[in-house]
Formats: sequence, structure tokens, C-alpha cells
Amino acid sequence: MNPYESYEAKIIEIRELTSREKLFTLRFTDRELESTFTFKPGQFVIVDLRGYGEFPISLCSPPTRKPIQLCIRRVGRLTRLIHKFDEGDSIGIRGPYGNGFPLEKMEGSNLILVAGGLGMAPLRSVLWYAIDTGKFERIYLFYGTKSYEDILFRDEIIYLLKHGEKLNCHVKLAYEVETPSCIYLEKGFSEKVCKGVVTDLFRGEEFNVENSYALICGPPVMYKFVIKELLDRGLSPGRIYMTLERRMKCGIGKCGHCVVGTSVSMKYICKDGPVFTYWDALSTRGLI
Amino acid sequence: MRYVKLSSENFSEFFESLKEIGKIYGPVKHNSTYTFEHVDNVKDLALKYRRTILPPKKFFVKPRDQLFRLKQNTWEEVKDVEKFVLFGVHSCDIHGLKILDRVYLQDPIDPYYKARRDNAFIVGISCMPDEYCFCKSLGTDFAMDGFDLFLHELPDGWLVRVGSIKGHEIVWENQELFDEVTDEDLKNFKEFEEKRAKAFKREINREGLADILDLAFNSPVWKKYSEKCLGCGNCTLVCPTCRCYEVCDNWTRAYEAVRERRYDSCFMPTHGLVAGGHNFRPTRLDRFRHRYYCKSYFDPSAGFNCVGCGRCDEFCPARIEHVKVLEEIREGLI
Repeated sequence: MNPYESYEAKIIEIRELTSREKLFTLRFTDRELESTFTFKPGQFVIVDLRGYGEFPISLCSPPTRKPIQLCIRRVGRLTRLIHKFDEGDSIGIRGPYGNGFPLEKMEGSNLILVAGGLGMAPLRSVLWYAIDTGKFERIYLFYGTKSYEDILFRDEIIYLLKHGEKLNCHVKLAYEVETPSCIYLEKGFSEKVCKGVVTDLFRGEEFNVENSYALICGPPVMYKFVIKELLDRGLSPGRIYMTLERRMKCGIGKCGHCVVGTSVSMKYICKDGPVFTYWDALSTRGLI
Repeated sequence: MRYVKLSSENFSEFFESLKEIGKIYGPVKHNSTYTFEHVDNVKDLALKYRRTILPPKKFFVKPRDQLFRLKQNTWEEVKDVEKFVLFGVHSCDIHGLKILDRVYLQDPIDPYYKARRDNAFIVGISCMPDEYCFCKSLGTDFAMDGFDLFLHELPDGWLVRVGSIKGHEIVWENQELFDEVTDEDLKNFKEFEEKRAKAFKREINREGLADILDLAFNSPVWKKYSEKCLGCGNCTLVCPTCRCYEVCDNWTRAYEAVRERRYDSCFMPTHGLVAGGHNFRPTRLDRFRHRYYCKSYFDPSAGFNCVGCGRCDEFCPARIEHVKVLEEIREGLI
């Protein structure tokens, strides 16, 4: 079996999430593969636009639900191209790759999900997996976004703002740019929505650090501030998980583009990650 | 290991016998440089070569390599089935291939690399070091495995180490060309090795190197040399263990495309660039340091990612010397 070969998948639904992000729902043409394909939240796949190239993208649906979904931001040559695809078109998918979040280990604990912008995509997989399985003590979601229009999965977030507590899920949202819609949202959920950055959402929150895991995903600049906030509260570096981005070309540790680290510790983001703990970052230079 | 002797007068016949396996590629001289290329006539071989420009990795990880062809919207795998002989590979390059093996033959196996590895018959050859070689200090100056036959120069022929079943079969099928090894041959072999060991002019201090480099992350030496470096990527192209590649799809006709991979270099600014324009290694300093970290990465079970072949030094247009950079980093630490 050639590990570089992709499987055909049909786009069965395209939903416009924001002006630059679309949600693609996919079904594998091969029925057996469609029924057996499984993954861990935090893993990614390589999308193959035949004749144009490949790009890595994290799975944003939970493994508890089918079919699989990918949230793709229009940001480069290939993502611009896939945004022009229609429902019914075929693409190639290979994977899943990477380690994913070790969620079995976290069962029975609090999950603190901290998402910034597009970082919501891989964390959505964790969020719904945690809600669907009900194996976790309490789920916190702190989501920092630019403005109301940029909120990914807006309907789901608003639903959880309203009904989250019933599902044991505490959702908070921070926005940076004030618009009438944001002010309206803030009025409706004054406890949970505020203007500011994602770290502002930690204010007034108490969690038992001995029984919590933090899972972070967002733009590179966000990690430093969020990690500081978590460390200040006494969370151990081994309990802080984050998923990282690099230019993963092959996905299986051959092409060398995602290698980080130094002479004592070298890691491939694609196969040793993309999920790392803060301890990994402390012991591997250049990771964040 | 099995040892036999090949006398000088039987050499060309031995060479001819290898043609039964497939095309023979060996070192050929072009002005002052050498390259591995197809050799039909034994006279074209330049066996006393120092180092080729591109290492033998070019036969396994090709500079441009077609993976798939797109036909009727489905990919067809491109397969390499040609059996071939790599004649006259130096010990450091054999070690270089072993480092590539660790990457490409690790699960999931790269089928293109694996097929070429299986199709290759490797004949190693002894060499004398020049001013750039530092393989001895890295322990890659002698290959214990990774070859089918290894030829050690003697005054009247070659002492042949048989390293695999494939190698044994060739010796078996051409028994008339080989003799038993005599005490005289062993004496000559030993003398050659001793002379060779003394001929090394350059060495690297391996002691604690990986840790020292890690501690010297902010050393001004990186800055000094990265300012000298032209960022051309020559050192990565000629390195027997550098293996970064880029993948591109190209349309060849209206409905036909190929997926091709080709050498990439961590010295290129695009190496760490992701969609959206964020670059994880934006400066030349970042990229320069990264290569040294990659080459000096120490795997406790396998050693360093550098085999001391000296190509990066010889072909560096800015005359940056690998060992010198590492020594200066070490000195600058205290």
C-alpha cells in the first residue's frame, strides 16, 4: 500500500461559516472506508486536490459523529481553489495523521479548551467528543474571536451559551472589534461574553488544577499569554496541551518541513505532534 | 563476514560480470570533480576519486522524482523496477544511506525508496582521506554493513568483504575470479588501514556535542557565520543525509498531470512558510542554525546525522567549514 495515495471523498455539503471559512462535509466513496474511518480529536488529514497539490487540515468534527467535516480558511493557493468547489465534487483524503489529544487519559477531569480564531476548528472536535461521550467532569470553552462575523460555528456557540450548562459545558466568548451584533450578544449573555482577548475570560473562573487539563489552539502569538495565565493558576506544564501548525507536506515524517528542535531533541510536528504538552515545548526549542 | 581476494588482472572481468545484475553506475572524472554516472567501460571508472558532487542518495531520493500520474482523475503510481549496481561507494556514503534508511524505511515505509533500495547492488571501495574528510572522528570511516561487496585496495588487487547474500551469490557464480585471502594480503590490508588512519587531517570533537550546541542556542557564532553564508543551499544538496523534499503537481497535458517531489533545502526562506504568510524560520540565522542542529542531532542508538564526508565544506561558495563552526560554538560557550 502506497502511503502517499489518497482516497476519493465526495463533498456532500458546503456551509459558509464566515466570509473566509467554509465547512466541508465529506463522505468517502469507498463504503467500507466510510464505515471504518476513525480518528482522535486533534488529528489531521491531507487533502489532495488532484493535479493541483495537497494541504494538511485538522478534522473539526468529533469521531463520535459521521460524516467527517473540515473547516477550511481561504488563505493560500489551494484553499482558494477548494472554496470554488461545489457540493458533489470529489477530492482526495489521506490520513488521519498525528497523535491527537490523549483524551482517554483525561477522562473524569475538567477540560479547559482555549481557542483563538481558527483554533476553534480542531478544538470543536474535542468539544463535541467530550459532550457526546459525557466522560468528563466539566468542559470549559474560552473562545477569542475578532468580531461577531468571525465567530466560527456561530450557531453552535450561541446554542452552548444558552444551553451549555445542561450539557456540563461552560462557554465564554471574547471579541476584539465592537459591532452592534457583539453588543447585542453581550447584553444577552453578560456573564459569558465580553470585549477583550481570550485571557480576559479566565477572570472570575475557578478550577481545580489537580484535576484539569488545558487544551489550546490558536495563532502563535496567543500561546505565550494563555500558557502564562494557566501556569499562574498552578496548572502543571504536563497538563497543558496545545496543537501546533507547521508546513506538513507528507504527514508521515519524511519530507522534513515540519522538523523542529535542536541537537538533543528533534521532533516532527506531523508524527510526534501536532499535539504537544507545554513540557515538550520547554524541552524542545523552537516548538512554540 | 566472508573475505575473498580479487586480483588486479581479474578486475575488469569482475566488472563485466556485474552487468548481469543491471546498469552499473560508478564514479567518473570530469575536470577536477567526480560524479556517479552510468559506466559501460571499466576504463571510464575513476576509482581513486575523493568525493562525488552529489552523493549516492541521488539514486534513491532523486532530485526530481515522479510519484503519481493523473489519468482520468485517478492517480497511477509510478514504479521503478530497474535493477542497478552502484560501484565504488565510499564508507561514509554507505553510512549516509543507512541514515536515509532510518527515515524512509521507518513505518510507514516509503515505497519508492524501498523499491530502489531493493533493486540496488552496492559495491563499496576503500579510499584515502583528503583535507575535508572528518569521517574517522564520527566513526563512519569503516562500514560494517550496508553493502553487498566492499573492495579494499591491495598492491596487487582487492581484498573483498562479502556483506550480503546477494554479494555472496555474485562471488559464488564467478568463483574462478576470486582467490583465498593470504597472510600477505592481510598484512597489506592492515598496512593500508593504518596508513589511512594517519592520513586524516580534520577531526570533530564529538564529546557532549549535542548538549553543547543546545546550550549555545544564542551563541554569537551562529550570527557571525550566518552573515557569511550565502543561503544558496549547496550544502544541503550535496549532503548524503539531507533529504527534505517539496511536492508539486504539474499538468503535462490538458487532462494529465504528474505529482513530483524534488529536493528542497532548509536554507530556502520558503522552507518554514505556512499558508497565510507566517514563517517559522524567517531569518537566515534561524535557517543556518537549524541545519547545524539537524546534522548534529544525536540519536543514542545511531549517532549523528552527519557522516563527515566533507562535501558541505568543499562545495560551499562562502568557504564555511562545518567542523570549524562547531568548534567555535564549543569554544564560545565558556
